[in-house]
Amino acid sequence: MKVNLVADVLDEQIKDSKGRQAGRVDGIVLELRDGKPPRVAYVEVGPTTLLSRFNRRLARWYSRHDRKLGKDRGVAVRIPWSRLARDGPGYVMDIDAESTPIFALEDWLRQHIVDRIPGARR
Amino acid sequence: MKKVLEIGLGIVTSVGGFLEIGSITTAAQAGAAFGFQLGWSIVLGTLCIAFLVEMSGRFSAVSKHTIPDAMRERFGANFFAVPLIVMLGVSLLVLAAEIGGVAVAIEMATGISFPIWALPVAFVSWALIWRTNFSTIENGVSLLGLVTVAFAVGVAKLHPDYGAVARGFVPSLPSQDKSKYWFIAVSVLGASISPYLYYFYSSGAIEEKWDETYIGTNRAIAAIGMGFGGFLSIAVLILAAMLFHPRGISVEHYQQLPELLSGVFGRKGFWLVIASLAIACLGATLEIALSLAYLVAQGFGWNWGEDLAPRDDARFALAYTVLLLAASIFALVGADPLKLTQISMALTATSLPIGTFPFLILMNDKDYLGEHTNGHVGNAVVMFISLLSAILGVVSIPLELIGGG
Repeated sequence: MKVNLVADVLDEQIKDSKGRQAGRVDGIVLELRDGKPPRVAYVEVGPTTLLSRFNRRLARWYSRHDRKLGKDRGVAVRIPWSRLARDGPGYVMDIDAESTPIFALEDWLRQHIVDRIPGARR
Repeated sequence: MKKVLEIGLGIVTSVGGFLEIGSITTAAQAGAAFGFQLGWSIVLGTLCIAFLVEMSGRFSAVSKHTIPDAMRERFGANFFAVPLIVMLGVSLLVLAAEIGGVAVAIEMATGISFPIWALPVAFVSWALIWRTNFSTIENGVSLLGLVTVAFAVGVAKLHPDYGAVARGFVPSLPSQDKSKYWFIAVSVLGASISPYLYYFYSSGAIEEKWDETYIGTNRAIAAIGMGFGGFLSIAVLILAAMLFHPRGISVEHYQQLPELLSGVFGRKGFWLVIASLAIACLGATLEIALSLAYLVAQGFGWNWGEDLAPRDDARFALAYTVLLLAASIFALVGADPLKLTQISMALTATSLPIGTFPFLILMNDKDYLGEHTNGHVGNAVVMFISLLSAILGVVSIPLELIGGG
């Protein structure tokens, strides 16, 4: 099967193993190998990668601030290409997004703001 | 039977969503200043939004994508950023106008001036979205929104010359006040063709899990619902044309709006206008806040959904929270809701092609719609009317500003 990276992979929705929307394919990383054709190694998810498509300085600024929020932060989240499969209108990964930093901002906002407002659980 | 119920409910919803601060104000201004002559702008606007709503429902039912979702994956993040930023900016002003509209309605009911009500209105809107799910909001507000039918009843009681009304449906050039004429035409177009309406509708189709069997239902809802909404706008225009125009009254303040019905129904009419304004603007406030939160969440691939509890989509929930708070600042500092409405409607019209043109490309893409891509008529109508709106906007907004408003 042929996949056109920009048309069919970049910017597509990713769902995690529990069916949650876990961001979009913000970037694609190829691995260059001696004597062999390059291959897709990872897709990247997260604001750092997304912002660097607009402006590298903006991306660096974001990652500097993001880093203060905890370990694993400030860098793009990398998902091995082998863990992704086509799923309906987007992609699904066989990883629980909670085990990655994809939901770090979501979790932080939930703990520090949303859960303190009555009715957050409905 | 289920489909019939759904069509009925859908129509009620569309009518509830159609008439809001923009449509009421701009139609009243059009009628007051130019009699029936600007009727065509409501007809064109209604035609365009009916096509857009039909398209967005069909798009989501067939492709299972929402519009922002598909725009980002089809055109890429760098392109998507443009409609995203324009839409956020313009719709934030519209949201501010709607909050101002509710606040003004409360001011007219209580006599306490509107800036006081900005934060309470934003809070109540926020609490409704925070606590309830999609269908409760949609159905509840739209059922209440049927109070706007009072405008049509008022027209029937006034016995207008329907031949003269119909002649206004054919565009004609103004004999005087040219820049005002075109500016009001642009505002009317912007008020009818609200982008948030079809974005909201496409998210609704996904939330309610539509599939291809809904294409017919969707078409009926779009045509009848938007048609009826446009009909109510025309009713407002007729009332203003008959009550304000002959006396040379132009609509400069919200306080004049109750006269649209108090002339027909007396004191009851006063309350009907206030109830219409409050409910219609509250409904629009909820829809715009949600619609913008959808836009952002879908664009970035966050978890989203009005049926989820806020803690399960924290970023989405905070997005509408922040938007409501930001939009309420305008009324809080006393920004004139009438001016805000005019400007935001004109800007909406001017920026239409930025959203509708990429959307038309999606609607003609077989990868998304298979055999259900657009026909020539739909393409032509939306392209022509959005281009016309943009051109009229670019020309008339500067003229209006130079002319001193």
